Amino acid sequence: MAKIDWRAVVLLQQFIVAIFFSACLFAGGVAQAAGGPLVAAAASLRFALEEIVDRYAAVTGSSVRLVFGSSGALVQQIENGAPFGLFLSADSGYVERLIAGGYTEGTGTAYGQGALVLFTRPGLLSPPGEGLASLARATSTGQIKRLVIANPEYAPYGRAARAALRHAGLWTQIQPLLVVGANAGQAAHFALEGAVDAALLPLSLAKIPALTKAGNYVVLPAASHPGVSLHQQMVVLRGASDIARNFFVYLQSAEVQAIFSRHGVRAISG
Amino acid sequence: MDWNALQLSAELAAWTLVVLLPLGIFAGRWLALTRTRARPWLQALFALPLVLPPTVVGYYLLTLMGSRSALGVLMDSLFDLSLAFSFPGLVLASIFVNLPFAILPVQRGFEAVSQDLHDAAACCGMSRWQAFSRVELPLAWPGVLSAAVLTFGHTLGEFGVVLMVGGNIPGQTRTLSIAIFDRVQAFDPAAAGRMALLLLLISLVTVALGYGTLERRGKQGAGGT
Amino acid sequence: MLRVSLEHNAPPLALDLELPLGELSAIVGPSGSGKTSILRAMAGLLRTRRARVSLDGETWADTAQGVWQAARLRPLGFVGQNYALFPHLNAGENVAAALLHLPTATRRERALACLAVVGIAGLAERSPTALSGGQRQRVAMARAIAREPKLLLLDEPFSALDRSTRKRLHIELKRLQASLGVTVVLVTHDLDEAAQLSGHLCLLHHGRLLQQGPTRELLRRPASVESARLLDFPNLCQARLSVSAGSSNILQWGELNIGTSTAIDARPGASVPWTIRASDVFLVKAGHSDEARLGAIVTARVAELIELGDSVLVSLAVENGGGETLRMRLRPGAVRRHDVSPGALVRVALHPEAVIPLIE
Repeated sequence: MAKIDWRAVVLLQQFIVAIFFSACLFAGGVAQAAGGPLVAAAASLRFALEEIVDRYAAVTGSSVRLVFGSSGALVQQIENGAPFGLFLSADSGYVERLIAGGYTEGTGTAYGQGALVLFTRPGLLSPPGEGLASLARATSTGQIKRLVIANPEYAPYGRAARAALRHAGLWTQIQPLLVVGANAGQAAHFALEGAVDAALLPLSLAKIPALTKAGNYVVLPAASHPGVSLHQQMVVLRGASDIARNFFVYLQSAEVQAIFSRHGVRAISG
Repeated sequence: MDWNALQLSAELAAWTLVVLLPLGIFAGRWLALTRTRARPWLQALFALPLVLPPTVVGYYLLTLMGSRSALGVLMDSLFDLSLAFSFPGLVLASIFVNLPFAILPVQRGFEAVSQDLHDAAACCGMSRWQAFSRVELPLAWPGVLSAAVLTFGHTLGEFGVVLMVGGNIPGQTRTLSIAIFDRVQAFDPAAAGRMALLLLLISLVTVALGYGTLERRGKQGAGGT
Repeated sequence: MLRVSLEHNAPPLALDLELPLGELSAIVGPSGSGKTSILRAMAGLLRTRRARVSLDGETWADTAQGVWQAARLRPLGFVGQNYALFPHLNAGENVAAALLHLPTATRRERALACLAVVGIAGLAERSPTALSGGQRQRVAMARAIAREPKLLLLDEPFSALDRSTRKRLHIELKRLQASLGVTVVLVTHDLDEAAQLSGHLCLLHHGRLLQQGPTRELLRRPASVESARLLDFPNLCQARLSVSAGSSNILQWGELNIGTSTAIDARPGASVPWTIRASDVFLVKAGHSDEARLGAIVTARVAELIELGDSVLVSLAVENGGGETLRMRLRPGAVRRHDVSPGALVRVALHPEAVIPLIE
């Protein structure tokens, strides 16, 4: 009698318990929780940093976990208490904001100079060396129907892209064609998927094999986006672990500078 | 394959279910039986997470739970616990966004128990708890099971709120759906595809099992009157 | 005595009932007269604005004193219109659900015994959906008596059944009531059913008690015009009290003097409505030996004959009467024998015992 009365309850409990344990056991059995301090980095640095973290692990045996996003979004998270030990921004402004807010230990350090590129589908821009001038031409002839940039509100490369388009006098004219990615990584992803004809991207992302296969790029000189320096700065955040601090030092080594440089983040001259 | 993310998703879904289902049963039953005029408003309130964009919900939850918020400061000083960008915070956010899935089907379930049966239970000398466990809950069971399945499935797939509140921290808040997004961003469509397929299969199996159980019970002639 | 005193606004109720213990009382009234609400209030399922319910001196509810016993604590059984069997439990489990106060081991045994009492011991394993209407009613009845209640409340328990099942279960109910000696209150809209089953009858109209009393007496003696209507007395006439002398009164109806043996609480000259059952109006054969013993003899012209199954309803225009049509019920044989046909003159007798004065 009692057993039958409780049938529903018992079934329900079994359902929950079964799901809980099977899921946890199954996943737990094969998962290895990766430890190590969290490093928040601009999406443009994904491929450079993945290589650097692998090298660091090989050299020191310490692992570091990476979290990517637009610099602005990461700053938001840090200000709301995200447990990051280190922050690599795609510009210097956000780092200064964190320092002013008291979220850091010490001041920021520059680790490189970012560059903006114009990426296009193969054969779209001719001749390819002309940069934004050829973009203007392709836009007016209707060859370009979609141009993707990162969000200028909180992604430094988006801000650089907007500055470049304004400087070239294209900003107003290009509005109807504009597609905005949440961060440089998403912008690059849109460019790769072929949904757009052209994109303004970080050099560090334009250089990855997937994109070089999908189209061509030209590097735009820093002068083409006045007011947005793309000085890449990093900073140790309050409460960082020793490994995070250690990694911070490692990031300033010549070895790392070389890797950054190879990925399109050049050392700052002088 | 990011097994860590799968484990996190499963744990998140299970915790959400364990906390939310009793809550949903309590609130859903109350909504079904109450005669207050505020009922439509309360229902609307519970349904709100359905109509608000997840990122908006996530943003407000983040401001509510962040280290600068009153709740964040309190939790930090009391339990040395940061809600935002942590698993407990994720569970809390998940509970909030799943309120409509946990409460509304349960309410429908309890509404299917007629006044006659409530009367009969009372006249059989049953206490409130006995009437609840022996009559109401078994009859409202389809609604409760629907709520469980929907909550579980929805938690597995939830993205916007998790991303806003949890960030994308591997091993802590990077759930399967976030991991899929992360892999897409990393130009790794193969891994993203594998994980998406896994997510799809798990959801499919869960929902099918849930509805299969419902159907078996239906065939036993144990449906509501 | 089961005393029930209720006042309520929605639905409107205002009544005092006094029902005998150990008997079957029926509450009869047209649908919408608040019958179900009265039962639910007795059971403690409905809180009325004012309520006083006591059984054999034991008070279950007295709102004036702040006494309120929850339904589950009142020693009663309840059978609703739709029986309200728990659909997820089989017949035996349904009965056992009323026995949670017993140890688990004895519940099933006792449940089976209750099912045996209502004559369906073999159906314990059946789900309610696999039972006929009559079987469901029996399960509900078994569940209601399982706790050996002092009071059994039945809300239209026969209305959903076909005629033959209903007849059979009427007998079962009488038998069950007699063997258990339990006080039963039956709510029904069917006067015939109440007449057959009850020893005590309460007539209800719009939440008010019209009349209550022993069934047999009440059926013959409506007290008011409304009671007469509900009790199916088709004749309603207006007369004037001419002579009042205790149990021997004369009513002046038109130019006719009609005697009644019922006491009338009015002064001579007062207007008094009266009624007589159609079957109490007798045809007087020509040359009857002792006409004086039949009561008032009046002459009437046959206006209409309506055949109703095994009886014929005859409408009469009484000569020198008050003008109202008098209806008489005859057997078809009597109609043929006495050649009762439209336009014919007949003589009918109104016996003082059958003439019932009413209050407005």
